[in-house]
Amino acid sequence: MSERLVPVVCPYCGVGCRLYVRSVDGYPVGIEYANDIPNISNEFGKLCPKGNAVVEYLLAKDRLKKPLKATEQGKFVEISWSEAIKEIAERLKAYAKDDPNQLMFFGSARTFNEPNYLIQKLARMLGTNNVDHCARLCHAPTVSGLKAVFGAGAMTNTYKDIEEANVIFIIGHNYAETHPVGFRYVLKAKERGAKVIVADPRFTRTAWFADIYLQHYPGSDIALINGLIHVIIKEKLYDERFVRERCVGFDEVVSAVEKFTPEFVEKVTGVPAELIVEAARTFATAGKGVITWAMGLTQHTHGHDNVRLLGTLSAICGYQGKEGAGCAPMRGQNNVQGACDMAALPNVFPGYQAVTDPEKRKFFEEFWGVELSGEVGLTTIEAAYAADKGKVKAYYVMGENPVISEANANHVMHTLEKLEFLVVQDIVPTPTIEFADIVLPAAAMLENDGSITNTERRVQWSFQAAKPPGEARPDWWIISEIGKAIGFDKTGSRGFVYGDAADVLREINACTPQYRGITPERLKENLAGIHWPCPSEDHPGTRVLYKEKFLTPDGKAHLAAIPEYRGPVEMPDEEYPFLLTTHRYVGMYHTVTMTMRSDALKKRWPEPLAEIHPEDAEKLGIKSGDWIKIETRRGTYPSKAKVTRTVKKGVIAVPWHWGANVLTNDALDPVAKIPETKACACRIVKITEEDAKRLIEKLPSVIPKLDVVRG
Amino acid sequence: MVRKTVFIDFSKCIECRACEVACEREHNGMSFISVFEWQEMAAMALNCRHCEKAPCVEVCPTNALYRDEDGAVLLAPQKCIGCLMCGIVCPFGIPELDLINKVMGKCDLCAHRRAEGKLPACVETCPTDALLYGEFNEIIRKRREKFTEKTIELAKTGENIQLTGV
Repeated sequence: MSERLVPVVCPYCGVGCRLYVRSVDGYPVGIEYANDIPNISNEFGKLCPKGNAVVEYLLAKDRLKKPLKATEQGKFVEISWSEAIKEIAERLKAYAKDDPNQLMFFGSARTFNEPNYLIQKLARMLGTNNVDHCARLCHAPTVSGLKAVFGAGAMTNTYKDIEEANVIFIIGHNYAETHPVGFRYVLKAKERGAKVIVADPRFTRTAWFADIYLQHYPGSDIALINGLIHVIIKEKLYDERFVRERCVGFDEVVSAVEKFTPEFVEKVTGVPAELIVEAARTFATAGKGVITWAMGLTQHTHGHDNVRLLGTLSAICGYQGKEGAGCAPMRGQNNVQGACDMAALPNVFPGYQAVTDPEKRKFFEEFWGVELSGEVGLTTIEAAYAADKGKVKAYYVMGENPVISEANANHVMHTLEKLEFLVVQDIVPTPTIEFADIVLPAAAMLENDGSITNTERRVQWSFQAAKPPGEARPDWWIISEIGKAIGFDKTGSRGFVYGDAADVLREINACTPQYRGITPERLKENLAGIHWPCPSEDHPGTRVLYKEKFLTPDGKAHLAAIPEYRGPVEMPDEEYPFLLTTHRYVGMYHTVTMTMRSDALKKRWPEPLAEIHPEDAEKLGIKSGDWIKIETRRGTYPSKAKVTRTVKKGVIAVPWHWGANVLTNDALDPVAKIPETKACACRIVKITEEDAKRLIEKLPSVIPKLDVVRG
Repeated sequence: MVRKTVFIDFSKCIECRACEVACEREHNGMSFISVFEWQEMAAMALNCRHCEKAPCVEVCPTNALYRDEDGAVLLAPQKCIGCLMCGIVCPFGIPELDLINKVMGKCDLCAHRRAEGKLPACVETCPTDALLYGEFNEIIRKRREKFTEKTIELAKTGENIQLTGV
């Protein structure tokens, strides 16, 4: 019996909380709060419910323990690791020889930086840039929009700055429920006297703490933000010096927001004009302000423009490049920032270096010792449509669950059925595994070690706290074995021969400018982590970006002028009279693969409840607890109803954890390629419980039972 | 006698239920703090107040409820006969019956953690500091200090604030 306290990073949301896992002989028995580590992102070791239940999913009964091979769809036999790796390597090699663009790789924001680096390296060494991950479905507009305005697609400040701000503008983000530990800093600022402005179609737990609450219609963000900018410019509240010295394109902004008067915005968004004026004045005159946003703002066909407008709003008020101010996109997954940095994206090499840039490509050709493709690859949704046409034939999915998480899930399932070859690497059975040809059991995040990047660009090292079950192996090991089997067996950066995760990180240090000084030795010593960019080993890390200049080519912020208003693609009409939006529960996590295997969380958030305004419910004769059927042009979804005044009239809100994405729209943002999951037209019918049960059987089960023949 | 208990600041509770999950983990699948939602808006957590004149201690026929040296009201399951009296007399309805063992269960202020000099799990985990562990007068004093500091701070920066006559 040797009991150890192992410092790990919480594997749930993007706050990057530190905690200790108490493990006895490699078996996790409990947790301890990390209240003795200074400067961590969750001060005093505070944790939310998910963080408290962190060991429960590790002990789930149905963890994948051996590689599986499908005999027919949904039926599996156990095989050995060597067979599995040999088969995958042969198949990948065959496709790559034919045409590498038939392959599609999915990185994962749920695992460490190292496997993400390796999977994109594998894809690119095979000759394709078809590599993407779930940031495409959440923060792609953040990366593209902030890059367009400021030159880098990451949070410009840290949680400490939120605490020091005088005004916090939260838009499309239920902060209190999605990141309770991050919300701590908002409340601390509020106690100091800061003002909180919340814009959200639902009166959320966050809005409860707002000084000014703007309830707009889903998808009307462009009008709302333009309205705020209009008032700020009209009343000359902007920071003239900052605009003159550090921004370009201000005159276009002035003419673009001309028509967005508060009265016009009131018509479009449903927010009273005087509230817009008040919010604008409060925001612009505070002196230090932070804007935070999340999926409610980005998951739109105009998500990219939304983010550019927010960057503009922040820049004209001069809230950039100083402490206590900035733009803070809140990442939903523990390593979504890291996966983007490691370039599990179709258009960049590690460190956001464009694949189309011949100079950068030359460097990586030198570094990896192969010829690389200069074409931008496919994104997740594009790949699904390409697979439909037969252009993409094989998927390699690492730690993702597209069946629940992607918009228009019915189409995704149809696509997965059509694929010739699908490899899924995961820790527990997910609905996606039903379609797999080969399933690889991976070790969970707490069962191996590696570096992880949280939402505020803080890179931390997480240590191994438990033994993986059965034959499950770390992600980096699996990909490096596959790489070696394909034939990339040179040592150093030209092959896939690694001893441990730290070796991979050293290679990342060598080719990623932002991570140059973030060595494994430094991270292991410094539990609080280092903020990138960190150009050398003696550099302490950067807390606030853009202090001197922006990272755009000319060093100035490029303000965005968006003169025409665009709402959601699909507006309510006669046939589908309601507007559907999706949200999250505090104790459930994304596609519930982990949280529904944890008793404490399952007990408290057992099922989705669709929220309806009392007046709408009365017309349809619906009471709280009735079963209803939600229909859109793409699918149907049964759910229990909850009649509540928190939503706006004419809006239905459903938590998407249990697969509500069969309803949502997969119309894409032209730049960021994000589907519009946050607004579409729907209709509601009251149904009986038997009907609901029948409909539920048709939906993909979130926790499937695998049919496995023991080998 | 200085009694430390868990106080709840309702103005900060965000109904995330981290305290419930933490309590459940520390007490083998039973949570002795519960969070309620009121009128779709306000949330409040409720736990044992460890009263100074605790009716549950007075009413218990077998003396299963007792106080430890910190003044917390604990329950000795060996002595409990599951007569439910404590649950009836408690104004907050805190003691619950454990249906498997037919004995009552209630918050013990994390006795095992206090023995190691740590705070109760619910307080340790609360992301917004809505749960405060301490002695009543101490917490009130801290509150006053904070308010006074803020007032002085405002008086320093504010232009037209007159503090005379306050």
